[in-house]
Amino acid sequence: MKRHSIVRVAAIVAATFIAAGTLTACSAGTGNDDGGSKTLRVTLANHVWTDTIKAKLPEFEAATGLKVELSQYGEDQLSDQYNVKLNAGTDEIDVMMYRPLQEGKLFAKNGYLADLSDDVESNAEWDWSDFQPGPVGSTTYEDNVVGIPIITEQEVLYYRKDLLAAAGLEVPTTMEALEAAAKAVTEQNPGVAGFVARTGKSAAVTQFSSFLYSFGGDFIDKNGDSAIASPEAKEAYAFYGKLIREYGPENVSTDMSWPEAMAIFTQGQAAFYTEADSLYKNATDPETSKVSDTVGFAPIPAGPGGSVAYNVPSWALGINAESANSAEAWKFIEWATSQELTLAVQQDGVPGARQSVWEDPAGTSTYPADLAAAIAASTKNGVGHDRPLVIKVPEAREIVGDPIVIAITGGDSDAAADAASDAFQGILDDE
Amino acid sequence: MTTMVSTKPTAWEKSSTWANHHRKWLFASPAMIFVGLLIAVPLGWTLYLSITDSEGSVRAESNLVGLSNYAEVLSDFDRFWPAVMRTFIFTGGALAIELVLGMCIALLLWRPFRGEKWVRVAILLPLVATPVAVGMMWRLIFDPNIGFANQVLSWIGIPAQPWLSGQYTALPTLMFVDIWQWTPMVVLMLLAGLTSLSDEPDEAARIDGANSWQRFWFVTLPLLRATVIVTIVLRGIDALKTFDILYATKGKGGGSFHEVETLNIYAFGLSFDYNDYGIASTVLILFFLLIIAIMWALTYRRKANRS
Amino acid sequence: MTTTLPTRPVIQPPRSPASAPRRRKPRAYKIFRVVALTLTVLLFIAPLVWMFIASLKTNVDIYDASKTLFFTPTLDNYDNVLSRNNYFGFIFNSFWVAFMSTIFSLLIGVPAAYAMSRFAMHRSALVVLMARIIPGVSLLVPWYFIFANMRMVGGFGVLILSHMFVALPLIVYIMISYFDSTPLELEEQAQVDGLTHIGAFLRITLPLSVPGLATAGILSFIFSWNNFMFALVLSGANTKTLPVAIFNFVSYASIDWGSLMAAAVVVTVPIMVIALFTQKYIVSGLTAGATKG
Repeated sequence: MKRHSIVRVAAIVAATFIAAGTLTACSAGTGNDDGGSKTLRVTLANHVWTDTIKAKLPEFEAATGLKVELSQYGEDQLSDQYNVKLNAGTDEIDVMMYRPLQEGKLFAKNGYLADLSDDVESNAEWDWSDFQPGPVGSTTYEDNVVGIPIITEQEVLYYRKDLLAAAGLEVPTTMEALEAAAKAVTEQNPGVAGFVARTGKSAAVTQFSSFLYSFGGDFIDKNGDSAIASPEAKEAYAFYGKLIREYGPENVSTDMSWPEAMAIFTQGQAAFYTEADSLYKNATDPETSKVSDTVGFAPIPAGPGGSVAYNVPSWALGINAESANSAEAWKFIEWATSQELTLAVQQDGVPGARQSVWEDPAGTSTYPADLAAAIAASTKNGVGHDRPLVIKVPEAREIVGDPIVIAITGGDSDAAADAASDAFQGILDDE
Repeated sequence: MTTMVSTKPTAWEKSSTWANHHRKWLFASPAMIFVGLLIAVPLGWTLYLSITDSEGSVRAESNLVGLSNYAEVLSDFDRFWPAVMRTFIFTGGALAIELVLGMCIALLLWRPFRGEKWVRVAILLPLVATPVAVGMMWRLIFDPNIGFANQVLSWIGIPAQPWLSGQYTALPTLMFVDIWQWTPMVVLMLLAGLTSLSDEPDEAARIDGANSWQRFWFVTLPLLRATVIVTIVLRGIDALKTFDILYATKGKGGGSFHEVETLNIYAFGLSFDYNDYGIASTVLILFFLLIIAIMWALTYRRKANRS
Repeated sequence: MTTTLPTRPVIQPPRSPASAPRRRKPRAYKIFRVVALTLTVLLFIAPLVWMFIASLKTNVDIYDASKTLFFTPTLDNYDNVLSRNNYFGFIFNSFWVAFMSTIFSLLIGVPAAYAMSRFAMHRSALVVLMARIIPGVSLLVPWYFIFANMRMVGGFGVLILSHMFVALPLIVYIMISYFDSTPLELEEQAQVDGLTHIGAFLRITLPLSVPGLATAGILSFIFSWNNFMFALVLSGANTKTLPVAIFNFVSYASIDWGSLMAAAVVVTVPIMVIALFTQKYIVSGLTAGATKG
């Protein structure tokens, strides 16, 4: 019967696939042991840093005889994976790329991150003291080193040289000048916003932080209490909100993270934009930007508290505490964070955490000169965090970000700051 | 195999007899055990976590707190109840439009015409497309600055809309995406129902002088009730649990004002962003109970109507 | 067809032309119908077509409103997706997981559906269908925890098990309604002829159920292929499936929209091709149970 032959063919096809799959699965499974080469499982985020390292991986494998198995995820997917896998105490991850400010404290508290204090001192040539103290502070938990900072970020002012020149304006160095310039550009160029920045409740917090510092405020005061209802903080909230409300794009969305805000700037629809320097290639690359040849960079304008930007480690490498290959994992970290590779990565546009690379002219040779100068200014007196340093960072960000959104929509940001401060204090008291 | 004839029952025959005798559970149990185990353990675990203050890591020490999580969640008018509301608005709104639109399209497709096969294939495509890919596609289409949607609006002179990034437009936009992807399913189900109908009642009504609207409303639609309810149940479960598209377009938290945060996204955010496993488990249990209650109400009514 | 199959309403295309009354509709209605159907098809197809067009653009063109429809197409995005990002590996992973989970789900799901249909085991069926109701979020952490302690994670095993969880209720649901509509006479006749119950199932019912099996198998393959939530947290470096791999083009400091759209096309095209060729089965599977009272 015809039906029978269909069943038979299907069965044969199925059997073949199962057999083939079992074979490949077996060979994959035994790959661990053959030839005595060990497999190191490295989990990284999608990032230019990762691309550069990936290209050089064969050198590492050749030099050490280790085999590196690389898993790569988007920022959110990476955090979802960690939340399941580390939670279950997996040893499937050896080296992990993580965000020290976002989840570092939580991971350290949960014991996910191995103590690297001895490893960092083991090799004088690698030179732990070369790493900038700000970032190092963020990868240290209760006096133990739990991560090596690999990527740093500073906030800078992106601006349009052509629009400023047309309006006869200088590059603003104070917050008042920034507001005046944004106003002038908005009035002169219909359809172009004077200023744009992130507006999403959680996303905006990091880019708002430099405004907060420059107005003389911070998220947490010296006593460990909430400081977001201080007069300085209220002024910063109101100012950030006013810039976007009055000189921002029309009908501005209150859910913009960097992709949306950056698109407005690179489409030529805004004159000023405050953002992390690590995103600068989006603005200077003619592939993605219409304003690539007219974009300029400057330090964050000075407020009543001076020009104080954040200077943070956005990513670090750590070793899973449950890893059975911690010695090999350290070899990988040592290699990936060496002077040589840090320089290579930095020349690809990723600011690193090594002082010697910053001091080396080659370290900034690929950067636009004004950007390098702006970064240098930010690193000089930069603050080591761009969000509240607590364990429950996601919750805290939503709380302290609420007044930003209220200010943008023209609501009573002072009252919102008071309410947010109470909620934020609750989180601080819990920890 | 079983066609061999012998005088003594062999071991094979004995076990064959046994297997035939017990075939009911022999057949049914592997699948039931598989699903049962994969559900029972997590469900028991979730139930347990919901009465603890577990947070940070599920391996960290936690204390039993009784039903206080439930009290906390049920009195949470900031996040929980708005999430319940949004879940219902999203599911109810999308489902209602899908049913109306689906019925219109099904009626258009009901009678044969040339090229109907191609129309069928065309409406099948959104249905089988990978939701995450579709989510990314819509994210670009609805981008307020470079998206296609605002370009189309500008061609016809309508000002640009914020779509997914607007406080009040995000949820309707996502409902539109759901409608785009799942109306075809409703069309196909209703069409299957329509074609299984006998023509006689319709003809009788025609002879009685009913116009086409009256015949649809008083004859065809009541006959389709069973189909409509099955459609609502199947589509409703999936819509309540919508995740992929929300994750791909808005992510955890559902935006600055939690404007698209449904129960599923809220529970995901609680456990994967806040690491607040006690509360997350409580929300999941309540969510689960809610789905079961809705299912039960729909199928119970269906049975009640039949008898 | 020369088969002597009993009629099965479930797998028929949902319209039998013979039963449709031949009646003359006014010309205006015909025109209205053509216009309405054209608009419907456009509405459903246009976004997918646009996705395909975007996948042929450079990022500069995607960002440029004036080049919505007129631009120089390029295959660079596909080159990036397929060769530089090793998408063939992800395609294999997706295919393998969907295929294996479908096979295993059929193996345990079809006998279960048969027993549940023949013995009217409604409560038992409900246990399996529960898998479709429970929110997946509640399963992720416990599953990983259990499988990790059983040393099962990191390979295809755990991924296939989780996808079976998606496929099984679908298969059981479809096959129950299929077996419900299969008449008992042939089986009873076979038993009179000396076959055992199980023999009759294997030799008579199963071969007669090939269309139903195809329906259930194709649909469970599609649902497994499209699954994102389980693959998001349970896949490892070598087992990442396509829906998760899409996010490869969303990185920390840039979004490569062109490649993202090309990847979306790569994910959806195989499933659409399958849908084109197996339209009849998919429709009958999706509408299983629609016509039951």
